[in-house]
Amino acid sequence: MDTLFLMNSLWVMLGAVLVILMIGGFILLETGSTRMKNAGHVAGKTILTFGIGSIVFWAVGYGLIFGKGNSLIGFSDFFYSGYEIDGLALSGSVFFLFQLAFAGISLTIALGGFAERAKLGAYLVFALLFSVIVYPPIAHWIWGGGWLAEHGKQDFAGSTVVHLTGAMAALAATIILKPRIGKYNKDGSANNLAGHNQVFTALSVLLLWVGWFGFNAGSTLSVDKAFFGFVAINTNLAAAAGTVAAMIISWMVLGKADVPMMLNGALAGLVAITASCAFVETWAAVVIGFIAGILVFYSIRFFEKRKIDDPIAALSVHGTAGVWGTLSTGFFATKDLATVGQPGLFYGGGLHQLGVQAMGVLVCGAFAFIVSFILLKIMKTAMNGLRVTEEEEIIGLDMSEHGSYGYPELLKSEQRLNA
Amino acid sequence: MAYSCYMEIRKFRDDKIKQASHDHIKLNQLHDEIMKKVIHLALSQTAEKLGPLPCPFSFFVMGSAGRLEQSIWSDQDHGIIYQDDRVETKVYFLELGKEISKGLFQAGYSYCDGGVMASNPLWCKSLYEWHHQLMKWIFEFSWESVRYLLIFIDARTLLGDEGFVDTLKNQIYQTANKDQLVKKMLNNTKYLKNGINVFGKLVTETHGPYAGLLNIKEIGILPYVNAVRLIAIKENLLTTPTLERLDTLSELHFSDIDIDFFKDQFIRLLNFRLIYCNQTNYDSGHYLPVAHLSREQSKELKDMIKNGSALFHSVRKLIEKEDSHANE
Repeated sequence: MDTLFLMNSLWVMLGAVLVILMIGGFILLETGSTRMKNAGHVAGKTILTFGIGSIVFWAVGYGLIFGKGNSLIGFSDFFYSGYEIDGLALSGSVFFLFQLAFAGISLTIALGGFAERAKLGAYLVFALLFSVIVYPPIAHWIWGGGWLAEHGKQDFAGSTVVHLTGAMAALAATIILKPRIGKYNKDGSANNLAGHNQVFTALSVLLLWVGWFGFNAGSTLSVDKAFFGFVAINTNLAAAAGTVAAMIISWMVLGKADVPMMLNGALAGLVAITASCAFVETWAAVVIGFIAGILVFYSIRFFEKRKIDDPIAALSVHGTAGVWGTLSTGFFATKDLATVGQPGLFYGGGLHQLGVQAMGVLVCGAFAFIVSFILLKIMKTAMNGLRVTEEEEIIGLDMSEHGSYGYPELLKSEQRLNA
Repeated sequence: MAYSCYMEIRKFRDDKIKQASHDHIKLNQLHDEIMKKVIHLALSQTAEKLGPLPCPFSFFVMGSAGRLEQSIWSDQDHGIIYQDDRVETKVYFLELGKEISKGLFQAGYSYCDGGVMASNPLWCKSLYEWHHQLMKWIFEFSWESVRYLLIFIDARTLLGDEGFVDTLKNQIYQTANKDQLVKKMLNNTKYLKNGINVFGKLVTETHGPYAGLLNIKEIGILPYVNAVRLIAIKENLLTTPTLERLDTLSELHFSDIDIDFFKDQFIRLLNFRLIYCNQTNYDSGHYLPVAHLSREQSKELKDMIKNGSALFHSVRKLIEKEDSHANE
C-alpha cells in the first residue's frame, strides 16, 4: 500500500482522536463554568449527546454533507460502512471519523446554550434535529462542494461551519429558554452566577488548546510537506495572543485581571484562527488571536447587558470569534497560502475575498439561527416547554433529571444543614 | 428625655435623621446623640439586673463612628475599658456590652460582621487587660493583630473617662519598634481598589444589585482615611476624624502635601456620598450611581479619587523612605 496514504490516514486518525478528546475539554469547561448542583448533569449529557450525534452522523449526517447531490445538500452514502472514498488520499473510515468528530463539537457548542435550565429531553431531541437539519447543510455548502465552496469561501477547519453554526443554535436556545433564575435582578442588573470550579475551566482550556492541533492541523488531511506543523504554529500563536489580549483588556477596563475572561480569550483566539490557520502568515495569526481576545471581552458584556444569559460564553467565544475568524482571511490570506479562494485585502486581493467571507458568515449564521429557532419553538410546544420547573432548577438538574448529585456528599450534607 | 425602650430611640432616629441627612457634621452629631441615648438606656437596664456600676469605665466607638464619618446607615464598632480588674466587674461590663450592642441594633445600627463590639470579650476589658492585649498585638506583629491595632487607633470615647483610650493609644505610640509597626500598618492597608481605568473611565461594579455603580467607600474614601491614619500614627495623634487629623498635621508643616486642598477634597467626597448615594440601607449607601452625574460632577469625582490615591502614595513614600533610612 502507498506509504503516503497510510501516513495520511495515521495523521488524520490522530487528529480525530484529539478532536474527540476536545469533548472532554468541553465537559470541564461547561462544568467548571456552572454551579455544583448541575455538575453531574452537565458532564453526563455531553457524553450522551455525542453518542446521539455520532449515530445520526453515521446514519444521515455524513450523506447529507458529503453525498452526491446538488449545491444545497448531499443525498447519498447514508449509513456509511467503512468503504474507501473516491479521490481521497487517506482511509475513508478515518476521514469519516474525523468529520464525525467535527459534527460532535458543533453540537456540543450548540447545547452549551442550554446550560443549567433545559430539560434532559430537550437536549436529546435537539441533538437529533441539529445533527440532521442544522449542521449538515452548512457543512455541505462549504466543505461538501456546495454553493459557498463554489464561491471560494475560506474556512479551513470550521470557524463558520463548526463554531458559528453551534453558537447560532446556542443563541436561539438562550433566547427561547430565557435567563436562569437569579441571573438578573428586578432593575435589570446582572448577577454573577460564578462557575463552581475555575481549575476545571483552566484545565479545559488546555485540553481544548491541545485538541485544537487535531482540529486545525488535522484538517490538512495529509502529511504532505508536513504543512500541518505550520498550521499548528498559527493555532498556538493565536491562542496565546487571545489569552494575553483578554487579560490586558480586562485589566485595562475593569482594573482586574479576570481569570475566566483570560480563559475565554484563549478559546476565542483558537476559534478565530480555525478558519484562517492555513491561509495566513504567523504574524497575522498573532494579530487575529489578539483581536479575538479583545472582541470576546466586549462581546460577553454585550450579551449580558441584553439579558441573554449565556453561562459558558458560547455566543462570544464561538459566535463572535467565529465571525471574526472567518472574516480575518478576507484581510490576511496570502497569495501563496490561499489554496482556496483569493488572497485577502492586505495581499492585493481587494475586497473580493472579504465579501465572500462576509456573505458566508451572514448566510450560514442566519440559517443556523433561524432554523434552530424554529425547531426549538416547535419543540417547546410539542414538549410542553423546554425548561425544567423553577423548583427543579433550584434543587439542580443533577437531582431533578438524573436522581443523583455530581457531588453527593457535599450537597446532601448541605441539605441536612438547611433542613 | 429618658427612653424606656430602644424602639423609642429608633423612632427618635427616624424622625430626626432626614433633617440631618444633607449635612455631614450635623449627621454625625445626631449619631452620637442617638448612640448616647442607647448607652444610657443600656446602663439603666443593666443596673436593674446587676446593680450599680462597679467602677469607672469608658465606652468608645471605632471605625467610621470613631472618625465621625458615618453615613446615614452605619454598623457597630465599639468597645469598653473599665478600671477594676475583678471577676465581677468583668461579668458586669460584658453584660453591659451585650445590652448596648442589642440596643444599638434595635436603634438601627447593624451588628459588626467582624465582631468588633463590646459584647465580644476581645473588645471589653479592664485597663490592665487592655495594656496586656495591646502589648500582645504589638508583639505578635501578625496581619491580624496589626489590623486590630489599626482599628483601635480610630477609637473615640463616647461616654466615660477619655483618659483610658488616650493612655492606651500612647502605649502603642511609645513602643520601641514603632517605625517597623507603622511600616507593617502600611502593608496592611496598601491595597487600593482601582477606581479609574486606563481609558480614564470610572470603574463600576460589573455584577450584582449595584452593577454600574461605583463603590465610593473603598475607591474614594478609604485611601484618604488610611493615608491620614498612617501619618496620624506616625505623629502620635490622639484625635480620630480624618479632617481633624489633617488639621493637626498642617501645624507640623508637611512640606510637599497641601493639607487644606486634601481636606477640601475629602469633605466633598463625604458630601458626594451623602447626597448622591441611595441611602436606603448600609450597603446601598456606599454605591454611587455614576450614570446620574453630570460631566462636571463626574470629572470632580475622578479628581477626588486621583487625589486620594496621590495622597496615599505620597504617605507611602514617606513611610517607606524613613524606613529605608532607619535601616541604613
